[in-house]
Amino acid sequence: MAIMMPASDPAVLDRREAIVAALRAIVPGEGVIDSAAEMLPYESDALTAYRQPPMVVVLPDTTEQVSKVLKYCFEQGIKVVPRGSGTSLSGGALPLADGVLLGLGKFKRIREIDFDNRVVVTEPGVTNLAISQAVAHAGFYYAPDPSSQIACSIGGNVAENSGGVHCLKYGMTTNNVLGCEIVLMTGEILRIGGKAAENSGYDLMGIITGSEGLLGVITEVTVRILQKPETARALMVGFAEVEAAGECVARIIGAGIIPGGMEMMDKPAIHAAEAFVHAGYPLDVEALLIIELDGPGIEVDELISRVEAIAQGCGSTMCQISNSEGERNLFWAGRKAAFPAVGRISPDYLCMDGTIPRGALPKALARIRDLSKKYNLAVANVFHAGDGNLHPLILYDANKPGEMERAEAFGADILRVCVEFGGVLTGEHGVGIEKRDLMGEMFSEIDLNQQQRLKCAFDPQGLLNPGKVFPTLHRCAELGRVHVHGGKLAFPDLPRF
Amino acid sequence: MDTLKVRDAKDVEQAVREAVASEQPLEIIGHGSKRLIGQPMATNAVLDLSALSAVTSYEPNELIVTVQAGAPLADVQSLIDSKNQQFAFEPVNTAALLGTPELGTIGGMIGAGLAGPRRIKAGGARDHLLGAHAVSGFGDSFKAGGKVVKNVTGYDLCKLLAGSWGTLAVMTEVTLKVMPRPESERTLVLRGLDAIVANQAMTAALGSPFDVSGAAHLPNSALRSSEAGGLGELGAGREALTLLRLEGITVSAAHRAAALAEALAPFGSAQILEDAASAHAWSSIRDVIPFAASGALGGAPVWRIVCPPAAGGALGEQLARDTGGDMIYDWGGGLIWAALPPTPDAQAGFVRRRVEAAFGHATLIRAPEQVRRNVDVFQTQPRGLADLSERVRLSFDPKTILNRGRLTRGPAA
Repeated sequence: MAIMMPASDPAVLDRREAIVAALRAIVPGEGVIDSAAEMLPYESDALTAYRQPPMVVVLPDTTEQVSKVLKYCFEQGIKVVPRGSGTSLSGGALPLADGVLLGLGKFKRIREIDFDNRVVVTEPGVTNLAISQAVAHAGFYYAPDPSSQIACSIGGNVAENSGGVHCLKYGMTTNNVLGCEIVLMTGEILRIGGKAAENSGYDLMGIITGSEGLLGVITEVTVRILQKPETARALMVGFAEVEAAGECVARIIGAGIIPGGMEMMDKPAIHAAEAFVHAGYPLDVEALLIIELDGPGIEVDELISRVEAIAQGCGSTMCQISNSEGERNLFWAGRKAAFPAVGRISPDYLCMDGTIPRGALPKALARIRDLSKKYNLAVANVFHAGDGNLHPLILYDANKPGEMERAEAFGADILRVCVEFGGVLTGEHGVGIEKRDLMGEMFSEIDLNQQQRLKCAFDPQGLLNPGKVFPTLHRCAELGRVHVHGGKLAFPDLPRF
Repeated sequence: MDTLKVRDAKDVEQAVREAVASEQPLEIIGHGSKRLIGQPMATNAVLDLSALSAVTSYEPNELIVTVQAGAPLADVQSLIDSKNQQFAFEPVNTAALLGTPELGTIGGMIGAGLAGPRRIKAGGARDHLLGAHAVSGFGDSFKAGGKVVKNVTGYDLCKLLAGSWGTLAVMTEVTLKVMPRPESERTLVLRGLDAIVANQAMTAALGSPFDVSGAAHLPNSALRSSEAGGLGELGAGREALTLLRLEGITVSAAHRAAALAEALAPFGSAQILEDAASAHAWSSIRDVIPFAASGALGGAPVWRIVCPPAAGGALGEQLARDTGGDMIYDWGGGLIWAALPPTPDAQAGFVRRRVEAAFGHATLIRAPEQVRRNVDVFQTQPRGLADLSERVRLSFDPKTILNRGRLTRGPAA
């Protein structure tokens, strides 16, 4: 594997039997898995190019068990990798050979539905979609909708700060969670936030969200729920040039319209999707926008006509408007199936996740095409155009020697382009191991040290999910040192009053 | 007192390093508009950021603005207003409440993190801070977040900076999300409800599909001052007012206002305010004008209480009854501004017991310095959480140089 993980501790591996026995004393029965065959499903997440069997898998089903497992591991100096449903696209749940894989899959209960306060209190193993389903009868839903929502767990969503096609209007996970119960590496159980709009003190919920399982293990989450919009309609708009599609996106936003979703696909992605789901996509356009407006019918109808006029003004070559739920779903079917559609035309693909300022879309796409030639690998592009989040899909064949390495180098170059244009390495998939070694493209050592100091406040021994997010690990004591310059600082020219 | 007027991030680094070396804590200010909030500090040097006032870039089509931390909030607001955009979280202007000049910087807006009525729909300051450059208590400039809305690269340090009252790092430049200003707004006004029933009406409205962007209740007692709480004609009847706001394109706001009025018919018939009248009412609520320092309740200590929204009505009624104080309810009941009869401790013990029982927390947002010396201005947290918060703070500012003692009483911080 191209990514170096922290070296295994032979002293821990030597004690494996004793460790398994101690864990069995905490989590009885089938909650501890140590046979190679049974651990197989846990050896990777959705970044399947990387695999590593853990030392042992533990599946607790109470907060107390989680606490005891962590306390034991803390005292014994054993690394722990938390895992939800294992749908991470960045390797956030990749096990360590000398680590305990702590699965939260048994935390499957919704604890409370509170319509008056518009929140759901849930265990972390509940899937994203199950929350929406549990409140659908009262017209509510949970807004963030990552495309893995059937399978991904809410605990994993919090860890990764998951997005989805609707986050332009409704925000990401961080904008939709209010509180949690979290267990620190020491075993300490804390409650942060609750049903109120804001926590007291520092916004620890905000820092835990998106921390990729490095700060603590979440055992309960309180999420906001919203009333479902009365109606939703979509437009499918084709353009002969990517620039025109980019301009259309900018003008819609500039007109003060925030669509529920605004997606773009380039020609290779359109062709792959159309061949797969027959959504009726035009095959003669260079870029296709799918724009969804939601709200009261009267509003949606008005906005549809405004968006249609903007699209025409930008030189759209085709525009279709959904007149039924069936039609709207068909427009989306191709976009939603874009990844598997690409999977059909290529043995393997790598999905990137950079974000750029919206205005840089055409430039970025041109650069990606140049890189595609340079690396001699095809690429299909799908974008969350509304928020500039790119998902270039790099096509390769892992069975051809060197091709995966070439695809990874191509991907890294795409992310460098994103940063060069003022964007970031990852919009919603997380850093994990996948983008870990690129963190230096975006952050200085000082920036990263500050982030790692924060990690030290939660996990001073660095036992929780080490090897993820940060390219270089430092000891907490070393990071905490303040360099005092003996009070002799040259500071003569600062105005004083 | 020494005032260091910094010109750029390098100056800030130098000032902090010097402060670390000489072990002299710094008070961080922009315009100083919120200096009356928090525990009185024992700092003897001021780091003045007001000269860092430039707008670095404003890109309306990207929905972002990047400004230096000392930029005047009013200037930035009029800049984005010129493109029909706004800070959707409606930052609270504390000038009238505190009786201070009409000032304030972007850095103060984020550091205090006080959000107005639209928080229930659009989130708070923390949801709009996309990126920051800041100087930690190590004297090092660091970057947090980025300049795009969608970003999960590394820890989301921006969340910590928002609402940290300058105790973690000195922000020098921030990137904020801006949103389109709604084309129209309508406000439903229900009259004569008590706080409990008003809370029920607001809960019903917020649980409806009509996308309510403001839900507030003003008991008649809050409208007793001569200016009727800054609400003009609306407050002249001295009747309790329950206000529900709908925003969006004109046809939609009007349609939803009518539909909501129908849905809320059991609570009484609603008057509907349009655009300017609606906006005026909400700015009064946002800035807590009924409790203005110059008004009838100007001498009362004011608590800002955040609690689960459906519990707000009962909590507020109880506080009003037992203290003789006045309440204003916002966020559908999830935010209570409580003006209490003055006592040496602003009735802190009593308020906190009641608020904690309702799973909320309370900040003493306005009180004389002597009172703030005697009480915990900010909610104290349970032991484990307080310890973690302190470790987090020390990870940014190990020598407690920045705004020492602003958040907590006691020797350490």
